[in-house]
Amino acid sequence: MIYIIDDDEIMAECIARACKGEVRIFSNAIEAMNGISEGELPSLIFLDVLLDGPDGFTFLNEMVSYPDTAKVPVIIVTSLDLQGWDLREYGVVKILHKDTMTPGEIRECVEEYGG
Amino acid sequence: MDKEVDGILVAAHELKAPLAVLRQLALGLPEMETSGERMRSEMVSVSERAIKQVNDLTKIRHLEDGLFVMEPVAVRAVCDEVTRELSYLFSHNRRDLYIKYSNKSKLVTANRELLYSVVYNFLLNAMHYSGEGTRAELMVKDFKGRVKVAVRDFGPALPMDVWREMKRGWINKPTSIAMRPGSSGLGLYIASKFSRAMGARVGAVRHRDGTSFFVDLPVSKQASLFSDDLYN
Repeated sequence: MIYIIDDDEIMAECIARACKGEVRIFSNAIEAMNGISEGELPSLIFLDVLLDGPDGFTFLNEMVSYPDTAKVPVIIVTSLDLQGWDLREYGVVKILHKDTMTPGEIRECVEEYGG
Repeated sequence: MDKEVDGILVAAHELKAPLAVLRQLALGLPEMETSGERMRSEMVSVSERAIKQVNDLTKIRHLEDGLFVMEPVAVRAVCDEVTRELSYLFSHNRRDLYIKYSNKSKLVTANRELLYSVVYNFLLNAMHYSGEGTRAELMVKDFKGRVKVAVRDFGPALPMDVWREMKRGWINKPTSIAMRPGSSGLGLYIASKFSRAMGARVGAVRHRDGTSFFVDLPVSKQASLFSDDLYN
């Protein structure tokens, strides 16, 4: 199961269409954490940074604090300029920029990290 | 950072978001298995919102030149028009819109286009912040010789500093992206500017489960000389 966390519903659906797999869309980090707490461990997470409520970085901190979720690969999907940021310690395996990413790149991420 | 530059950066960020969405939708078109009608509607809707926002920002410049007319405006008709325009977005995002008109005064002194933008931005803001499956409320009522148009959402409470700024009567500039998470406050900034230009009072009420934004406008004295039927 792939998680997509983005408060822009249309953008989230674009990512979901590109994934072509089983996905769950969440509009905020709390709902996503609740999904995980219910016992569902996603194989990959596409995460927006600016969210309603707790932001993407808060979510990453929460993820790395548990042994099981710390291993879940996270792809940051953002329109912020995070070039040069090293977020590997937070499980971030790739940063996709909303302005330039393509459905092909999203699919490549799923193939490479989606298990 | 210079306040004006800061404001421009925030506005630019907000205007970039719909462009990024449009690009993704366009890239996804060739892979559509069906007719793509839903995607076409989304593209039209996203671009219309972005165009409206750019137009509103352009209008702010003209406000300073006083290039707008104050006239008797049928407030319910404006609200009806806005809700018709936004009904697709509300249903697409699975939000309900509850409308309650209890005003007896039909006409206010305002500029029709500016009032339209104020209500539009309030409602768009409420849609964004009300959670999926919840509703936003649009209420129009008489209030001490004025007409109050209020939009309530069921989202996170408004930060205290923004509430104080609203209490002063206007928002000085689009504030940081974290004004309310995920928003630059650009829509509220536009609504605030337009309200002030019309001599209307804009404000916010904090609820424990959301926020109401309101604008109150003077009842048109000129129009009260005529029969109500004229405006029905």
